[in-house]
Amino acid sequence: MNKNIFWVPLSLFLLMTIAGSELISAQMKYDIKEMTPEVEAALNNRRERFDQLRGFKSAGVVGENNRGYVELLKDDAEAKRLVDAENRDRKTVYKTIEQQNNLSNALETIETVFAQVQREKAQAGDKVQEENGQWVTK
Amino acid sequence: MRLSHKYGRVGGWFLLVVFLTGCTVKAVGDPNRPITINAHITVDIKGLKDTASSIEDYVSGEKPKESLQK
Repeated sequence: MNKNIFWVPLSLFLLMTIAGSELISAQMKYDIKEMTPEVEAALNNRRERFDQLRGFKSAGVVGENNRGYVELLKDDAEAKRLVDAENRDRKTVYKTIEQQNNLSNALETIETVFAQVQREKAQAGDKVQEENGQWVTK
Repeated sequence: MRLSHKYGRVGGWFLLVVFLTGCTVKAVGDPNRPITINAHITVDIKGLKDTASSIEDYVSGEKPKESLQK
């Protein structure tokens, strides 16, 4: 009986602590909370140029660097135009995630995480830059 | 026997007080000189990676637009 008097409040306290941490982890899901015209345009542009960019990646003209952007690896005017446009749109997406999720000064982290995802999603034969800066063929 | 009963009650009240007051932050100071709190933001990499993955899946055409806003 006396043991219950001690364990019941302690169990309740632990339960509330666990529930609280679950709540915090539930809040740690970032997303595009408001589809602004800027971010919508950036995403649509990226979607439209995806296949063309895919072709340049397969040809080894463009690679994914370790900062979350595409990089020109061989001289090609058309690919350069595409790379510049793609990187502008990526920057818009990254900044939107930073702003809409109150992640102030986390742009570099966001870019690095996107770079990691790009490396994982890269197809065999694509050029990707590892975290240590070394370019490798996946 | 009676002693542990007493400790149990005190412990219970203590935990209740900690729970009720633990969620309240009071700032006392001069209202003309607002307090600046520099918060350190921790980014949940796993959550961010899920978001990045969803966005890249949308860009590649693997997922619909609805997947972007959970």
